[in-house]
Amino acid sequence: MSTGEQPPSGSRDEADSDDRELLHAAEEKEHGDTPGGRFARFLGRIGHQVRHHLWFFLVTLGAGWGVVSESLRRTSWRRTVLFEFGSTLREVTMGGLFSTLVSGMLAGVSVVSQMIYWLGFAGMDEKTGSLLVMIDVREVAPILVGILMLGRSGMLTFTELGLLTTSGQTRALIADGVDPLLQIVMPRTLAYMIAGLTLGIQFSLASLVTGYAVSRASGAVSNPIWTFLYDVITAMTPHDYLFIPLKFIVVGFLVGLGCCIGGLTASSSDTISTMMPRGFSRGMLIVMAVSVIFSLNL
Amino acid sequence: MNTYSGPMLEFLEARPSFEDSGLPPVPFSARVMPGDCIIVECRDAERAAMFADMCSGMVSLQSGAIRFMGLDWSELRYRQMNALRGRIGRMVGTQCWSDRYGAHYSMMLKVIYHTGRSMEEVTDEAIRLSERFGLPGLPVSLPSQMSSADKVRASCVRAFIGKPHLVLISDPLAKGEADLAAPLISSIVEAMDRGAAVLWFVRNLSARTDYSQVKTGLWHLTDEGLSSGRSS
Repeated sequence: MSTGEQPPSGSRDEADSDDRELLHAAEEKEHGDTPGGRFARFLGRIGHQVRHHLWFFLVTLGAGWGVVSESLRRTSWRRTVLFEFGSTLREVTMGGLFSTLVSGMLAGVSVVSQMIYWLGFAGMDEKTGSLLVMIDVREVAPILVGILMLGRSGMLTFTELGLLTTSGQTRALIADGVDPLLQIVMPRTLAYMIAGLTLGIQFSLASLVTGYAVSRASGAVSNPIWTFLYDVITAMTPHDYLFIPLKFIVVGFLVGLGCCIGGLTASSSDTISTMMPRGFSRGMLIVMAVSVIFSLNL
Repeated sequence: MNTYSGPMLEFLEARPSFEDSGLPPVPFSARVMPGDCIIVECRDAERAAMFADMCSGMVSLQSGAIRFMGLDWSELRYRQMNALRGRIGRMVGTQCWSDRYGAHYSMMLKVIYHTGRSMEEVTDEAIRLSERFGLPGLPVSLPSQMSSADKVRASCVRAFIGKPHLVLISDPLAKGEADLAAPLISSIVEAMDRGAAVLWFVRNLSARTDYSQVKTGLWHLTDEGLSSGRSS
C-alpha cells in the first residue's frame, strides 16, 4: 500500500506518537536525567496516558451532569429545545420501533421459548417466571435495545453532529448565542433516555409474547397467556420494578449522551470514516458497561 | 427603536490572542455608536470572520477589553454571553444550515431561541424579509437543496431578522449578487434608523460605489491591525 492509501487514523496515531516524543523531550529538558527527573517523567507519562484514555469518559461525565442540572431549570426548556426534544423522541422511538419489535420476536423464539422448553424438560416449571425476568428482561433486553438505538439512531446523531462540528457550524451556533449543550445535547439525550425505556418495554413484551406463542404452538406450555404473564409479573421483586426500568433509562441516556458528545468533540481532522468506527465502539462500550455495572449491583 | 444610547461596540486596547484567532496581537481601539455603519475593508475572509468572532466575544484577549452595549464580554457568565450574542445578527464566516430541518427553521432559530415572540410574528417577519431579498417566499426546502444564490439571500434574512442591535455582514455584492444591493442597503438603513450599528466587511472598497450610500466610517483590517480610514 502506498503512503497515500493509508487511512487517516494512521496519521492520527503518528501525530499522537509525535506528541509523546515532544512531551518526552520537553520533560527531559525540564527535569534532566536525575532520579527525581526520571520519577517526574514516569508520573508525567502515567498522567498523559490516564488523561488520554479517560478524556472522553470525563467529558461525558461532565456533560451528563450538565444535562441533568440544565434540564431541571425551567428557562432551559425554550421552544427550540422542546422542538428538538420532540423531533428526536419521535425519530428514535418511531424509527426504532419496528426493528425493536422484530428483534424482540426473534429473542422470543431463540431465548424465551428455548428456556420454557428446557425448564419444562428439567421439571423446573416454577422457575420459568423468575429466570425469564432475570435473563430476558433484565439482561438481554437492555443490551439489544441499546445496540439497536446505537445503530439505528445513535450513529446518525454522532455523524451529523461530527460533520456540523468539523465544518464549523457548531461554532456558528455559538456565535448566534445558541448553546449547543442546551439546544442539542440536552434534548437529544433526554429523548434517547425516554426512547430507551419505551423500546425496552416493547422489546420485553414482544419477546415474552412470541416466546409464549412458540411454546404454546410446540406444546411446551398449555397455560393461557394471562397465566404465563402473571407468573412473570409475580416473579419480579421490588428491586426488579426499580432497576429494570432504570437500566433501560440509563442505557438510553448514555447512548444519546455519548453520541452527542462524540460528535461535538470531533476534531477538524476527523472524517466519516474515522468518526463511524469510533462512535460505534464507544457506544458498544457504553451499553456493555452499563449492563455489567447493573448486573454487579444486582 | 433601540433605547440604548451609549457606544454599541467598543474596543479598549483589546489585544487578541494570536494562537486562538490568528489575528495580529496588537491593541485594537475603536468605537461604534448606534446608527453607525462602518465599512471594514479586509482582503482575507477568514480574518474578517475571526474579527466578527472577536466582536461577539468569542476570541480570548491577552489584554484590554471589548464591550458590547456597555457590557465587557470577559466579565459575563456563559448564559449572559449567549443572551447578548442573540442581539447580534451576522452573515460572516461559516453559518449553521442543518439539513435536519427546512431552511426556514435555521433562518428563524435564533429569534425563536432567544425571544418569546409568537411564531406568527416571527414567521411574518421572515416572509417579509425573504421577499425583500428576492426569495419567492419563506424557503422550506432543505438547505442542501437550495442554490448558493438563494442561500446568500437566506443568510441576509437571517442577519436582519429579529431587529438585532449589531449587524455583522460580509459582502454578498462581491459574489456577483448585484440585485441584492437595493434590499441590502434598505435593510441597513432601516437598522441604522432604529439605532442598530452595522459592520460591513468588504474585500475591495473601490470595487463598488454602493458602500458610500450608508457608510459613516471606514476601517482597514490588515496584518498590522485595525486602522481608521477617511469617510467620504
